[in-house]
Amino acid sequence: MSATDTEAPAATLLSVQNLSVVYEPTGGEPVHAVSGATFDLGRGDFVGLVGESGSGKSTLGFALTGLSKPPARVGGGSILFNGVDIAGMSSEDLRVQRQGGFAMVLQSGMNALNPVRSIRNHFYDIFAAHGHIGRGEREARAIELVGKVELPAGVLDRFSGELSGGMRQRVSIALALSLEPQLMIFDEPTTALDVLVQHAVMNTIRELQKSEGFTAVLISHDLGMVLEVTERVMVMHNGLIVEDRPAADVLASPQHPYTRMLLSHYGDPRAEIVEVPGLAARGPKRAPEVSHLKTDFVPVSAEARARAAGTEGVQRREGRAAREAIVVSNVSKIYPPPRRGEKPVRAVNDVSFTLEPGASMALVGASGSGKSTIAKMITGVEHPTSGTITFGDLQVDRIKRRSLKRLHTEVQMVFQDPYSALNPLHTVEYTLTRPIVNFSKLRGRDARRRMLELLETVGLTPVEQFAARLPHQLSGGQRQRVVIARALASDPQVIIADEPVSMLDVSLRAGVLALLDSLRETWGVSMLYITHDLLSARLVTDQIMVLNQGAVVEEGATASVLQNPRDEYTIRLLDAIPHPTTPTPEHN
Amino acid sequence: MRFVLTKIGLLLLTLWAAVTLNFLLPRLMPGSPADAALAKLAQNGPVSPATKAAIEAQLGVPTGSMFDQYLQYLGNVATFDFGVSYTFFPQPVAGLVAAALPWTLVLVGLVTIIAFIFGTLLGVLAAWKRGTWLDTLPTVGGTFASAFPYFWTALLLLFFLGYVAGWFPTSGAYGRGTTPEFSAAFLLDAIYHAILPATTILITSLGGWILGMRSTMINTLGDDYVTFAEANGLKPRTVAIRYAARNAILPNLTSFGLALGGVVGGSLLVERVFAYPGVGYLLYTAVTNQDFPLMQALFLIITISVLLANFIVDILYGILDPRTRR
Amino acid sequence: MTLTDKSPDQKPATDVAGPAHPLGVLWRAVTTIWSVPKARIGVVMLGVFVLGALFAPLIAPYSPTNNDFGRSEDMTAAHLLGTTAAGQDVLSQVIYGARVSVFVGFIAGLFSTIIAVLIGLSWGYLRNKTADVINFIVNLFLVIPALPLMIVIAAYLQNGGIGMIILVVVITGWAWGARVLRSQTQSLRSRDFVTAAIFSGESSGRIVFREILPNMTSLIVGSFFGAATAAILAEAGLSFLGLGDSTTISWGTMLFWAQNSNALLTGQWILLFAPGLCISLLATSLSLINFGVDGLSNPRLREGAKR
Repeated sequence: MSATDTEAPAATLLSVQNLSVVYEPTGGEPVHAVSGATFDLGRGDFVGLVGESGSGKSTLGFALTGLSKPPARVGGGSILFNGVDIAGMSSEDLRVQRQGGFAMVLQSGMNALNPVRSIRNHFYDIFAAHGHIGRGEREARAIELVGKVELPAGVLDRFSGELSGGMRQRVSIALALSLEPQLMIFDEPTTALDVLVQHAVMNTIRELQKSEGFTAVLISHDLGMVLEVTERVMVMHNGLIVEDRPAADVLASPQHPYTRMLLSHYGDPRAEIVEVPGLAARGPKRAPEVSHLKTDFVPVSAEARARAAGTEGVQRREGRAAREAIVVSNVSKIYPPPRRGEKPVRAVNDVSFTLEPGASMALVGASGSGKSTIAKMITGVEHPTSGTITFGDLQVDRIKRRSLKRLHTEVQMVFQDPYSALNPLHTVEYTLTRPIVNFSKLRGRDARRRMLELLETVGLTPVEQFAARLPHQLSGGQRQRVVIARALASDPQVIIADEPVSMLDVSLRAGVLALLDSLRETWGVSMLYITHDLLSARLVTDQIMVLNQGAVVEEGATASVLQNPRDEYTIRLLDAIPHPTTPTPEHN
Repeated sequence: MRFVLTKIGLLLLTLWAAVTLNFLLPRLMPGSPADAALAKLAQNGPVSPATKAAIEAQLGVPTGSMFDQYLQYLGNVATFDFGVSYTFFPQPVAGLVAAALPWTLVLVGLVTIIAFIFGTLLGVLAAWKRGTWLDTLPTVGGTFASAFPYFWTALLLLFFLGYVAGWFPTSGAYGRGTTPEFSAAFLLDAIYHAILPATTILITSLGGWILGMRSTMINTLGDDYVTFAEANGLKPRTVAIRYAARNAILPNLTSFGLALGGVVGGSLLVERVFAYPGVGYLLYTAVTNQDFPLMQALFLIITISVLLANFIVDILYGILDPRTRR
Repeated sequence: MTLTDKSPDQKPATDVAGPAHPLGVLWRAVTTIWSVPKARIGVVMLGVFVLGALFAPLIAPYSPTNNDFGRSEDMTAAHLLGTTAAGQDVLSQVIYGARVSVFVGFIAGLFSTIIAVLIGLSWGYLRNKTADVINFIVNLFLVIPALPLMIVIAAYLQNGGIGMIILVVVITGWAWGARVLRSQTQSLRSRDFVTAAIFSGESSGRIVFREILPNMTSLIVGSFFGAATAAILAEAGLSFLGLGDSTTISWGTMLFWAQNSNALLTGQWILLFAPGLCISLLATSLSLINFGVDGLSNPRLREGAKR
């Protein structure tokens, strides 16, 4: 960095020049995680840093706060904080700088607290390390700080294990605040939290930034949320900052194709017509077929569709569209109390519905609303405490292990986490061949042919190549396609999809959703789509049920429920969704 | 406190299982240990009916149902009636055990605690200074030392420092001609005699504690709360001790409890080498003389000691980990 | 395998085991261990001992039981390590002694590991009252001091020889491995791919052995080496106490005779030093190899060779 830049103007708090961060794994090739990052942050700015997984945004955040640890290393450039370069600072100088300097709130706020130390001691440790709060004032200051994040003074006596996820993240924020920092970096501060909690924590952050006046950087994968909260947005892609402009400008006229792509995946589930690239909302007010497919994924090749519709092995599908309904009547599930002396947990409370053959229904709710428990009961993994579930002549609610196989011939499941749903040691071919062998009479060559057809159906071509791969050789989106192919292997009538896209990057979601949607049309399967994400529910389902604390609070046609929600909980869920396209009033 | 009550319940159950195992062992063995024992005892003179009954209860003679034998055995254990040793005829087993136990408890107990504390500290240091000589030296040294059989380390020390150099006494717990008493002179003499056995146990058990603590500490150093503590500018010493080490010690306490049996076993062999008059040497004497009553009683008392030590470790764990208190 | 689009039927369709040949997997497993420097030293050391044990008759200058030589001789050209109090060649005994240790370590380690795998996997997979009972039994075996138990059993079984020692070592040695494998099984069984296997219609046995077991390779190999180390040390300890068959030539019995014949007083330190060092080095070699087993569960081992 040249000497002329060292005198930063007073309005600039942080000036980053040509910063690069290198990853040097032992025995591996060094990788430039961040290269040539150059930007200034003014005092009191609230800036968003957006990118998908692997874009380098968190690496940049760690570098800005002097927390880069091996194998990551600042490879070049400078970070001027108040005119002083912190990139080459000794660790003790850096440590002292943190009080009144820069603080960071980590992504996994759940684990950011020492489990064996009380919250009070966390504060006292910081006060003792910097000596900026006198002994006599520590208690009062700690109470004041937790008050700022809307927690009662009582949390000071608690341990992190006794707090909820949202409370822990609030404590983390209060601890970072106790440094009285001029710069706060929030690294995905709400990602691990429940939808409604996310919304509340984000509001707290926004208010604190206004009242305390610190400069803030919000790192997130969620462009929608960042646009809603911040004034200026930087978009990162493959280690480069590809866009750095005021939020309103980014929204109005995104410059970089990558930003445009990210933005195109947002929509308001309440709108008359909802569409994202490759997908248009169904329902009573179905939009005309969209023709523009801008994602890097072509969801299902036309050829595959044709194949699935009528050629070769798939032919037997004809006349075998879903015939039987899943009927859930007055089902409740009560778990024994987690600890003695506590109340039993009522996970599902008197839920009834029918999944008609060929229907597509969304089961929506925050975590803990009981939606996954319902999925487990429908698939026979768990038995309800009371009520009945039937599928055809199968009494699912008290199904025996022996009959499970029969149920799973017809009812299959797509899992949430594609990284955990595939055995890392088995090839795609093995994973897909097992259900074929178990559920059909196909063996040997026929089984293999069927396996390759499945790969083609889910758009993994060239099929031979994908068949030989191991899960670690696939991307997240490709893994999820394998998971879907496995669910199709038994030629089921019903597919239960449990948050099938929530672990995927935004740009990959539409492709997987489009695939699920097309299966319903071409294969005639019924689908129960479990999610907390109302936008995707709007895109792929006709009916919707909203669950709150185990009970159904609202149900009906997806479009009409989302456009005219009646239940207060549904409204809160809808309000929690970031709408970059329709800025919320408080923002302006 | 529910946690303590649960642990006490578990302790009682485990104690019962250990006592029962002790009852079953001789009965599961081929042949009749009781007959062998009675025959051996008869060589020393007439066997009193009481002695005979005690031995039969302990080692099992096909008189009465198994259940009756079991009840009688439980009664004997409850009253510390372990019969009569025939190596040291006619001394009762209980007295012999009571005389040997303090020597082992003090030597093995004290040294093990010292080794654990010392090894843990070295492990913390090694993990914190990872990659430097403070890491390499204890890690490599620990790996080699922990592969030494206890009795071999003992033999080497005995030979080189006892016989060749003549710095330390070669056997016993105190000088010949002195009798145990509470005096400074005797205490010093006892410590002098204990140095070689203690060093043996220290050298051989230290490595395990170093390696164990180092690896858990390296894990906790990667935990988010350590990163967050650094982000908040805590002093490195605070981060190392109160954040990383404080959490790493917890799993290590559990392994300490489970490894205790191994240390005690090794120490028995060390006692044999140094002819140290503890339970290990007594067990060796009992085994070589086929003194089954003595042997059984010793096994029981060793097991119970280890179980109690484990119980104490469990309680300590509960005190150190707030998560178990809820 | 070349990747061509036109030939879905070329490859035998019954072969669904994976892209790599089993021997290829084994080879890569060895190279994985070899790639860790510490483990490499261990492999070399173990190799020396195993070869020494196998070819003892070729390497050893004399028969280990031949007692025609002078008693308690010092180290000479004819007897590089001297002779015992009974007039046997020490070097030959050391070389032959490797046989017992390697054999006991391998067999006892193997059987302990098999029991540990069977109990650990079923215990981790089950979720009923049986699991509580197994839990109690395993914990009991973990806390009961193993060596005293071995000594007691060995005393009852009177000079049972190597078979008895192996039996005793296995009885007391499986619990640690079972505990480790149990907790890994529990964590794996909650993974989605295990649930997915149920949805694929797999039987419980197949889930345990084809889905869960292969993911624990490094733990299983690790517990084998751990159990083998414990077995070698236990055999030495029992033999040293004279509880084995004291006419067998093993490092433990050598130490037993050395102590009984007062080698300490006569100054024949090599009688103590050589067998003990061998036990330590053999045990160290296994601990060193254990540093290299972590990578064994890595799926990259199974990648096709021609990628």
